[in-house]
Amino acid sequence: MALTPTVEEQGSAPELEVRNLVKRFTAQSVVGPLSFRAEAGEFVSLLGPSGCGKTTTLRCIAGFEVPTEGSILLNGTSIEGQPPNRRNIGLVFQNYALFPHLTIFENVAFGLRLRRVGDRELRQRVGAALELVGLPDLAARFPRELSGGQQQRIAIARSIVLEPRILLFDEPLSNLDLKLRLAMRRELRELQRRLGKTAVYVTHDQGEALALSDRIVVMSNGRIEQIGSPQEIYERPANAFVADFIGSSNLLEATVVGSDGATTIVNAGGLMLRAGVVGHACGARILAMVRPERIRLATTDEPAGDNALNARIKEATYLGQDLHLNLRLDGGQELSVVTEGSAARRLVPGEGVVLTVDAADIFLLPK
Amino acid sequence: MSTAPQRQRPYWTALVLPLALYLVVFLVIPFIHIVVLSFYTHSPTRIWTPELTTANYVGLADASFLTVLARTLRLGLVSTLICVLFGYPLAYFLARADRRVALIGLFFLVMPLMVSAVIRTFGWLVILGRNGLVNGAITALGLERLPLLYNETAVVIGLANVFVPFMVLPLMASIERINPALEEAARNLGASWFATFRRVILPLSRPGLISGCLLVYSAAISAFVVPMLMGGARVRVIGRQIYDQLLISYQWPNASAIATLLVIATTSLAFVVLALMRRSARQEEGA
Repeated sequence: MALTPTVEEQGSAPELEVRNLVKRFTAQSVVGPLSFRAEAGEFVSLLGPSGCGKTTTLRCIAGFEVPTEGSILLNGTSIEGQPPNRRNIGLVFQNYALFPHLTIFENVAFGLRLRRVGDRELRQRVGAALELVGLPDLAARFPRELSGGQQQRIAIARSIVLEPRILLFDEPLSNLDLKLRLAMRRELRELQRRLGKTAVYVTHDQGEALALSDRIVVMSNGRIEQIGSPQEIYERPANAFVADFIGSSNLLEATVVGSDGATTIVNAGGLMLRAGVVGHACGARILAMVRPERIRLATTDEPAGDNALNARIKEATYLGQDLHLNLRLDGGQELSVVTEGSAARRLVPGEGVVLTVDAADIFLLPK
Repeated sequence: MSTAPQRQRPYWTALVLPLALYLVVFLVIPFIHIVVLSFYTHSPTRIWTPELTTANYVGLADASFLTVLARTLRLGLVSTLICVLFGYPLAYFLARADRRVALIGLFFLVMPLMVSAVIRTFGWLVILGRNGLVNGAITALGLERLPLLYNETAVVIGLANVFVPFMVLPLMASIERINPALEEAARNLGASWFATFRRVILPLSRPGLISGCLLVYSAAISAFVVPMLMGGARVRVIGRQIYDQLLISYQWPNASAIATLLVIATTSLAFVVLALMRRSARQEEGA
């Protein structure tokens, strides 16, 4: 995407605050109460499985759903009373929602015409927006003549040409194929940074959320599970849901049996593990979590780490760069491990291995 | 196309044969007969003699017939307009309602078509008559009776009532195909409800609107029962004219000429409109 500076930056982007938002559809189906903030210029993702309420939340912000309770504030001012056409909040739809009966030019000009922008300014602004998304030559085409990726860029251009106060994205990349999705991710992030717009991005794709966001709001069943930076969410998940949903993780049921100094010792079905955290009461039933890529296969010349485990390979899946191993521990628990693909020849099912895990890589989560 | 000049017809083309045969025997042949008759000469004793003449057509260019023609076209236009005004909101509602509601709505919409035209029209007589329900209510309020029957307004009311389903059904089919996200996109870009309708729903449902207008207009200008019973002698329309020429004056060649004219008028209108539609569709494809 050509990123020539054509759309002037707005003064300061507003901050968005969602406060105790509740949307009740039926007695069983309730979203919220949930609260989160997006600071000025921040890129916040709402991440969760389908049906977790992330799209409902976005639609409340856009004005297509009326919240049952709670409030939505832009720069401290409530926007509840405003109909969707008065909010000037840009929304990019999952299916692009380009107008099939209008040319690309007219699609992008749609909002400007409603605002009765003069012809010269209109041409200039539409041109600038098309330039910004890297498609200045398609103005005369119709949406059906464009590829999915091009349509998505036009949808973005159609929103940003109005200089919206904030930008909302509803799974904008989920209809694109993998390669394009990865490329668009980068461009989207770059564009948002350049425009300095506050953005709220709904996705069920954790990779997308991690790559794009300043902050992630992880949701499930209409509730917020955790809010944090991508790193925080990945490395210090607040609970088992987050640990399981973001990346893959091994979760072992365990009981706290003691602590010494900087580590806590837990008993996971007969297996004693040292975790690099403190503050858990003795006897507490918890989940011990460790990421598959943080488990190392011990070689004979390497000193044993904080935790050494004996295991047998149940299954090995070769994925080129990586080798995914499914292991059975001596205690009977199953563990998945990711190691380098080059180890594939050595590691075959039935083989016994010794694993080491640093105490710092084991997290204790509430059950 | 040029690559496959001798494209084989699919085997299911034969499925249209029964209806095609039926139409040829009961519609095309009788119609050809009418066209032929319209060029025959009227005879007071034998109804017609097979001497070719254009007098039946030339004779139509008189003031009284042109008045009838103009009235018929006007009534058709006004009824179509009223069907659009009532039909659009209903079609939109039915297209966007959930399936059960839409089914019930469709049932009520189509119900007037299940009642015989004569009975339905007599229903209107009860409502609009001199001592009917409406005038009963008006006199009960101490106001003057309104002349609600035997005028053009009555005919328009009757026609719009019968033909509104012909407007709603194609419109509804068109609106159903419009992705609701497009309406939301328009709203999000700043369009009011009205602007959303004008800039998104109206252009995208235009094929349905045009089909609906064609159906209602053609049906309305060839209507017979409604104008006859609700318009009376004063609101004479083409359908009534043909009927009188045929059964009262025994002017069969003359009636045939009028009928031929009516058929040419409706079919040529349909052809022109459909051709225009196809052209604008091709323009939109931007080829």
